[in-house]
Amino acid sequence: MSDPTPLIRARGIERSYKLGDRRLEILRGIDLDLWPGERLCLMGASGTGKSTLLNILGLLDRPTAGTVEIEGKNGWSLSTSRRAWYRNHRLGYVFQFYHLFAELNAVENAVLPAMIQTGPLSWFGRKGDVRKRAIELLTRFGLAERLKHRPGKLSGGEQQRVAIARALLLDPPILIADEPTGNLDRSTGESVLELLFEEQARRQIGLLLVTHDERLALRCDRVLHMEDGRIIGESRPAREGERQVPSTAPAGDAPQA
Amino acid sequence: MYRLFLAARYIRMRPINWIGTLSIFVAVGALILILAIMSGFLEHSREHLRGHLADVTIAPSFDIPMNLEGAYPPRRPEPLLAAVRGEEKVRAAAAQMLWYGMLVPPRSEAVFSDRETMDMVMVSFVGIDLPDEYGVTQLREDLGRPVQFGSRDQRPDNLDDPFAYPAEYKPDPDQRPLDTILMGERQAAKWNLRKGDTLELATATIDQESGSFGQAANITVVLAGTYRSTFNELDLSRIYMRREALGDWLGRPGEFSQVALRLEDYEQDAKASVPRVREDLIERGLLHKPREHGASFAWEVQTWEQSRKAMLSAIENERALLGIMLGLVLLVAGFGVFAITSMMVTEKRRDIGILSALGATPGGILTLFLSIGGLEALLGIVCGIGTGVLAALKINEFEQWLSQTLGYQIFDRSVYYFDHIPTRIEYGGIVGIAVAAMLTALLSAAIPAIRAALLNPVDALRYE
Repeated sequence: MSDPTPLIRARGIERSYKLGDRRLEILRGIDLDLWPGERLCLMGASGTGKSTLLNILGLLDRPTAGTVEIEGKNGWSLSTSRRAWYRNHRLGYVFQFYHLFAELNAVENAVLPAMIQTGPLSWFGRKGDVRKRAIELLTRFGLAERLKHRPGKLSGGEQQRVAIARALLLDPPILIADEPTGNLDRSTGESVLELLFEEQARRQIGLLLVTHDERLALRCDRVLHMEDGRIIGESRPAREGERQVPSTAPAGDAPQA
Repeated sequence: MYRLFLAARYIRMRPINWIGTLSIFVAVGALILILAIMSGFLEHSREHLRGHLADVTIAPSFDIPMNLEGAYPPRRPEPLLAAVRGEEKVRAAAAQMLWYGMLVPPRSEAVFSDRETMDMVMVSFVGIDLPDEYGVTQLREDLGRPVQFGSRDQRPDNLDDPFAYPAEYKPDPDQRPLDTILMGERQAAKWNLRKGDTLELATATIDQESGSFGQAANITVVLAGTYRSTFNELDLSRIYMRREALGDWLGRPGEFSQVALRLEDYEQDAKASVPRVREDLIERGLLHKPREHGASFAWEVQTWEQSRKAMLSAIENERALLGIMLGLVLLVAGFGVFAITSMMVTEKRRDIGILSALGATPGGILTLFLSIGGLEALLGIVCGIGTGVLAALKINEFEQWLSQTLGYQIFDRSVYYFDHIPTRIEYGGIVGIAVAAMLTALLSAAIPAIRAALLNPVDALRYE
């Protein structure tokens, strides 16, 4: 039996910036695997390099050294357009500040990844299906009455739900969330998180989450603690028993039920 | 699909983008209108010139020998007229005699007095044969046009014989009968001359033996009537006389300067017929052979376009120059598109980062911002064409309204001698303007679009 392939495998990731004559080391050799169905949390103080690592794993920022494999393919050896394809088809992003388009309503924001994927001619053939799927998602997220609203007319929690719907529209196997509740009040954050975890569990997505929130981290399968550009430790919080252990995770690397 | 969709949405939701559209709209509209007016002027000027000039003129160089035996071209027109009238495509031919001199209005006391020179007007005398002349130019129509300058009807009494004495003139039975002339209606109005008035013409004749300008020659003539062509310059400079009378005055009886031709169909026949007629006349010994060295004698036979080449090319050049200058308006419009697209790239930096995260390629982002420039231009071009064409069609109504509103005659009809502002819409020109505007907009949008495509998505996402 061949070795199972992680969704993301990062090895020896380094990232530094030149600041005048000085070289600023942000990441200093990070190894990381994300498995299907896994909730992996990155924790650490501000400035430890969590977001930089997330950008590198999400194929948005090129590491100074190291490799990032997405489903077994070395992401940073791919062409620009192929990397864009991976971002569109295999990765979903949820940002702290939602990052919705102010000019588009909820449905239009949610269908954007599908629009990027599709040329003008084939779009008219697909448009109906895609919109239907977006509306179903938004309705499930409690936004049935808000479909035609632009971000300016939505609350923070509603905007983040639209952003999650956008990230999940194309059923990516990997979801990257950078402090998804960091900009929300506690109760709104809780409800958004519930929704995120529910969808992650239902779709068996590999979720890579950056947070400062200890309570949130406790609900993840693994927590990687970062400090000064390194992973200094890993913990496996006691989890509610109902979650299934991802079947492809090798022993010793997989979360415990 | 997202490129066009987002570009259209940005334009719709951000009214500042309309500045780009507005600048293209103004440039396209103005270019179409100005080119329509210039083309109209060109066309009308051609038509006017066309009406007064014969299709082809044949003017032998009388003073240059044709061969070693010292033969000169005949000075009387009959052999040339007989030859060209036999040509297949020639509808009519008329001999003309051309000379230059001065018109001395009746109140001038002395012709060559310094004090009075302001009263003398350089004119060209055209000696014509009637009715032959009616067959080659539109003189008959010009003589019959209703009066426009001055209050009296100055037209000749009888168009079949316009040189006949008018009823207003009573010849003195004791004097030698005076010759008659026809002059431009505007010229007559300027000097307050009336039909039947006498006036003096002055010129210098060439001494036949020495070949140098010699005798000053004056003649008193009777104004038999006026004509009004639609071409100001000609009306102010041309005085028609009987060729016979002009020849007698100059001491060159029966001579001619040129033979004017009207072809059956100028547009169709000129190209083939003119060289053939010339060759035929050379063979008959009526024109000079093109020499191996030196002169080609091509000027001896000229179409009306060749003889007015300088003027036609001047109008054509004016049109081209104006087009180039107005092209600068397009450049300014391009700068507008550049500024707006640059602003959009800065303003939408975060959106660029989001699009990259969602899977847009740098090429896609480039196309998005090019589409913004392209759509702005497209809107501007469509509106500009509509408005420009409408303005060109309704320019006279607009000018009249504006003149009445401002109380100032914007288009002085007497200056151009057109009773309306001529316009001609050239569809090829419109397509050219539209393409140029689109290219300008795309090139202007390209610089900020490239900047957007080269943005680091992480930096763009951090932008607040």
